[in-house]
Amino acid sequence: MGALFVAIAFFGLMALGMPVGFAIGVSGMIGILDMGPRFMQMAPDRVFAGLDLFPFLAMPFFILAGEIMNRSGITLGLVRLADALVGWMRGGMAHSNMVASVMFAGITGSATADAAAFGNTLVPAMEKAGYKRPYAAAVTAAGSIIGPTIPPSTLAIIYGSIMGVSIAGLFAAGILPGLLICGTCMLVIALHAKKKNLPKGEGRPSFGIVIKALREGFLAALLPLFILGSILGGFATPTEAAAIAVAYALFVGGVIYRALTWQDLYEIAVRTTRITGVIFLIIASATILGWWMTFNRIPQAIATGLLSVSENPQIIIALILLLLLVIGLVMDINATLIILAPVLAPLTAQIGMEPVHAGIMIILALNISLMTPPVGACLFVLASVTGEKVESITKELWPFILAEVGILLVIAFWSDLTLFIPRLLGL
Amino acid sequence: MANLSAKAKSMSLKVNWLVERVCVALLVVLVLDVWLGVLVRYVIPLPLTFTEELARYLMIWMALLAVSSGIAYREHIGVEFVFGRLPAPVRRWLAVAFDVIAFAFFFALFWYGLGFAAKGFSRFTMIYGIPKGYPFMGVPLAAAMACAQLALTGIHDFFAKEAPASTGVSEATMALRENN
Repeated sequence: MGALFVAIAFFGLMALGMPVGFAIGVSGMIGILDMGPRFMQMAPDRVFAGLDLFPFLAMPFFILAGEIMNRSGITLGLVRLADALVGWMRGGMAHSNMVASVMFAGITGSATADAAAFGNTLVPAMEKAGYKRPYAAAVTAAGSIIGPTIPPSTLAIIYGSIMGVSIAGLFAAGILPGLLICGTCMLVIALHAKKKNLPKGEGRPSFGIVIKALREGFLAALLPLFILGSILGGFATPTEAAAIAVAYALFVGGVIYRALTWQDLYEIAVRTTRITGVIFLIIASATILGWWMTFNRIPQAIATGLLSVSENPQIIIALILLLLLVIGLVMDINATLIILAPVLAPLTAQIGMEPVHAGIMIILALNISLMTPPVGACLFVLASVTGEKVESITKELWPFILAEVGILLVIAFWSDLTLFIPRLLGL
Repeated sequence: MANLSAKAKSMSLKVNWLVERVCVALLVVLVLDVWLGVLVRYVIPLPLTFTEELARYLMIWMALLAVSSGIAYREHIGVEFVFGRLPAPVRRWLAVAFDVIAFAFFFALFWYGLGFAAKGFSRFTMIYGIPKGYPFMGVPLAAAMACAQLALTGIHDFFAKEAPASTGVSEATMALRENN
């Protein structure tokens, strides 16, 4: 009976519009209350224990570094660099949108932040160059999920911390899928370029222009290289790398570019604390609900249910992907990850998947749900920014969604590809 | 009645003014602490072992206190798909109901958090050796602040001239706000 109440509260409150962190916390609390009032002290205990993880520190630091880089305008150099590299092709601006997404990915790591930034800048520029607005928005939505796939990725930090999987390993394993998404989406653009008569750039840029763009984008591009290099090289933990990234962003934005005032810094700090508060409440609440689920052996019941369908590992993987893609359609991906990871990770281990491989597969599936209708966050960002209807963007987005689901299947069923870089680096 | 709503909003912002500054101060100390940790590990080999423990507790305090700040500005992420399509009177009652339910949740966290923190004073942290009750206090304190903000938001929602357009923000709206 308790489980029924919890399920009704969980889905009902969330569907009606209660903030996700509250709805999860309330349903977890209902579950604990059903077990008996003597268990109520577990709620604050779980809240504290759920957040008391050193690797979580990397999150506010990466958010802070990204905010500083964006506010000081350093990241604009990356867009110019991407344009100089691939903007000359047919559909060049769509291609450079994708390449810029990869470059931004190493800094912000947030799909919605990238979608909002690009929606405001690149979509109008693409429209001006002759692209249809829904197509430009669809390209941006497709590229935005590269952000949380390529490191630093908040989802990788959360997954690694709660499941005890190497965050450096997950970061390394996220590189190829991110690049594959970029490459495949560029292929989709190239295939449609003639049919859709996409505009062509002004011809190959001169060597001098490329060098100038490289110089402009150099300081911004150095940051993700440093973050990746230091973590994957084993010189620094993700938290340390994130802290150094903050120092670097402050130095470049404040001293070299002189683009930051004290007021800017205060506002950046306020934004960082508030975003952290929002994410951490979801984590804390999900920890309460997760504890109740574990106590009531719900993860085992779900796992048994899935295994009763089939014991074939391929079918189990397909079922997991289906579950994630469907739940991701309507639920916040951070909460989904915290609640479902403890359910799915043991299941993936049972069918012989490597923890890092399973982690990156789960993360990628959730990322894809950010751009799928009806409530994909990136889709809504772009609809709001561009004033275009979700339906018309979705119509242009389908080839990209199918391509990215294809990549997800490749990642899920070809572990050697995902684990190539982690193995190369000995992670 | 609209006056009461405005007063509640103004009070909410005043409370948040203080919380926001405390959160920023905690973030600044957190950044300096982790930088110090990096410095002593890589540059100046000093026997400072407290940085990691302090950083975790600062992060928890900062993040939990910032929860109330998110309530004041309605920045907690929600799915607005259904809520935004409901008629204004239903939206108002639903928003107030959510405020009351969330208040009950945070009040329970506050109440049981007091006992949790009190018990923590008989346990000691691994490195510092200080009573764990001090870091644990962050839970009931943050829950109390969230209760205060929810009470003020509830009054604002109930008496405001116009029904609330949303109970939180969707992730999309939040990204847009950040970008503007």
